[in-house]
Amino acid sequence: MNRVKVLQVCAFLLILAQLLVSGAVPLDCKDDAGSRCASISQEKLLDRVIQHAELIYRVSEECCTLFEDMFVPYPLHVLINQAGNTCHSKHIPIPTSKSEIQQISDSWLLHSVLFLVQSWMEPLLYLQTTLDQYDDAPNALLSKTKWVSDKLLSLEQGVVVLIRKMLDEGIMASSPIFDHTQSPYDGQFPEVLESVIRDYHLLTCFKKDTHKVETFLKLLKCRQSNKLSCLPQ
Amino acid sequence: MAHSLSLRLLYLGLMCGKGLVFAQGSELFSQESDAMKEPHFTSCRSTELVTFRCWWSAGTFQNLSEPGALRFFYQTKALSSEWYECPDYTHTVENECYFNKTFTRIWTSYCIQLRSVPQNTTYDEACFTVENIVYPDPPVGLNWTLLNVSRSGLHFDVLVRWTPPPSADVKTGWMSLVYQLQYRVKNTTYWEMQELESGTQQSIYGLHTDKEYEVRVRCKMSAFNNFGEFSNSVFVQVAQIPSKESTFPMALVLSFILIGVVILLIFIVISQQQRLMVIFLPPIPAPKIKGIDPELLKNGKLDQLDSLLSSHDMYKPDFYHEDPWVEFIQLDIDDPTDKNSSDTQHLLGLSHSGSSHNLNLKNDDDSGRASCYDPEIPDPEDLASLLPNHSEQGEHQHPVVSRNSSSNPDLGIQQESEVVDTPIQTQPTVPSWVNMDFYAQVSDFTPAGEVMLSPGQLNTSPEKKKKEEENEKKIQFQLVSDGAYTSETTARQFSSDVPSSPGPEQEYQAFPTQVVEGNLWNGEYLVSVNDSHTPYLLLEPPPAPVLPPMSDYTVAEPPSKSSFLAAYGLPAQPR
Repeated sequence: MNRVKVLQVCAFLLILAQLLVSGAVPLDCKDDAGSRCASISQEKLLDRVIQHAELIYRVSEECCTLFEDMFVPYPLHVLINQAGNTCHSKHIPIPTSKSEIQQISDSWLLHSVLFLVQSWMEPLLYLQTTLDQYDDAPNALLSKTKWVSDKLLSLEQGVVVLIRKMLDEGIMASSPIFDHTQSPYDGQFPEVLESVIRDYHLLTCFKKDTHKVETFLKLLKCRQSNKLSCLPQ
Repeated sequence: MAHSLSLRLLYLGLMCGKGLVFAQGSELFSQESDAMKEPHFTSCRSTELVTFRCWWSAGTFQNLSEPGALRFFYQTKALSSEWYECPDYTHTVENECYFNKTFTRIWTSYCIQLRSVPQNTTYDEACFTVENIVYPDPPVGLNWTLLNVSRSGLHFDVLVRWTPPPSADVKTGWMSLVYQLQYRVKNTTYWEMQELESGTQQSIYGLHTDKEYEVRVRCKMSAFNNFGEFSNSVFVQVAQIPSKESTFPMALVLSFILIGVVILLIFIVISQQQRLMVIFLPPIPAPKIKGIDPELLKNGKLDQLDSLLSSHDMYKPDFYHEDPWVEFIQLDIDDPTDKNSSDTQHLLGLSHSGSSHNLNLKNDDDSGRASCYDPEIPDPEDLASLLPNHSEQGEHQHPVVSRNSSSNPDLGIQQESEVVDTPIQTQPTVPSWVNMDFYAQVSDFTPAGEVMLSPGQLNTSPEKKKKEEENEKKIQFQLVSDGAYTSETTARQFSSDVPSSPGPEQEYQAFPTQVVEGNLWNGEYLVSVNDSHTPYLLLEPPPAPVLPPMSDYTVAEPPSKSSFLAAYGLPAQPR
């Protein structure tokens, strides 16, 4: 009986620890002296976040190319373009023209970025598992997908901190507004539910969204650094 | 895998169904060149990610080539599923549709169709997203600056700078461009490509000065594959500086210096050969008797050795410092037995002859070293008084007896003669005992326990004379030798003058044959000499060795006295 109790306690503690670590605990990295985090200037933080976004975008493009070369026959590329608007992020009202984007506020930019990043956490996890199922998936593809998934987490954390610093808003990390219930492929490819098409579509959507994130962050940076020239003409 | 099979089926279905081939990205529109070509899209491009244009061609269908026959429709599923006609048919350019910034949506896919309205047939269709059709404008403002020229004047480096295309909004971060620089030698076909550069400048290294280069730059959006057009080429050339002449005299000067240094080294080696020999090949010190040449000991004749040893003054102090002997001699003055007195007189004479021998062979010491005569010992006076012919000379003899030969490092026969003159003056008459040999032989023991000595043998005078001359020659030879060091080889040269003698062992053995109890002398004498550090026999005063007194008198030797007598014209008494 004692052994069982010990095991239960350990399990409980493990679960608690997991919740604490991965759960919805707000980042409490403060800027005062008593904080356990090293303070960083807003500009530097923004630079780092942009670096993250650039890297993620580049790697997502590489993943897409790898997958394309390996699994997707040439003519199918067109199909994907046709279904380009079916990325799940369409439900999020993000402006898509330059003029519109330049007119939205910093707050809106940051929130859009955060939303996008959070919305891709789960699909990436799904992508990792499904790519493992391919017989001849190149190792580079698998490792890059894993890497991107990890980097996305840190990007999210960075954006949360940025929001708190720039907008003075407290926000919870890892709380996606994304609706899990809706499947991204409702009614899109009823006849073609090949994992290849689905995965390829996922990868292209991811690539598009990461490019969006990078562009938004760069626009934000320009606004922060030089207010005059970055304003819309 | 089931996937591949279904994919293939899908592909076939597509091909059969639509009969069209589409491409993405750079090959968005097919480029087939058939004879019968229906109207098709040629390309869609955006330069700044804000607007884009599409072009089409009527193909070979002549009836559709008039403007307005073909119409352009697009669809963006983001807004609705409706097909809209081209918002702006460009008036200046044929078959072009322009989408301005209000109609352009980034990150949304567009599908376009080429229709002929009357028949309502769709000749062509394509789908794309705007960021995938961006072909940036070429960079502008290309210029180059010279970084440096190599020392030989054959190569140089340049720094090429440019500015981003004005249409691309790089400042706000809307577009991130990367650049590629290419260069070639003018009028060749192969372009050298450099790595992608995200900045607006790049260096080219290792260009040749005698060639003219053409440089150009193009750019694309980072992480996309569509390069824009190349910029205008800029030409780079650097005149060759004739610097080859300066290298020639340098090489010549260096070679001359090297040769000079080598010659100098050779001269140094040749001139300082001896010293270098000492430094690099130090001599192995051979066992030497101080003041006596070891080679002579090995190879010399007995009479030579006798002369040498007799001249060696190491016996003298022992002789004089050995009180028992002196006492013994003193007591026997009045002894009626001629034998004893003659023996003692012989002993005394031995000392004299030995000293005179020393004078003959050795040189006086100008170094200031005191003679071995010890004034503390009163016995020499008594000793002198014993001599019947020298009683009046007393003191004068002492210096003689005390052995000037103790000092012998200096070379020069002049000094020798000087010293020799003194004893000759003090000893006008040579007593019979002068003929005594240096060595005396123990002939008998008295009942009182005293030793009776008899003189050694005498050699024939001519031989002695010859040996004397040889010895003198040796001395002269030695004088010539270098400084304080003569090697064994030089010593051997000297001793080579000696007529062939039996081997060293035989020489050593010769001593015992002549002397009954002389064995002691050989071993002990030679052993004690090993401590000597004098490099050569006559060049340094030997230190006073410690020898058992017996050894002096236990060796029988070829008589040296007669040779001395012969040299100075003194009558030799036969034994």
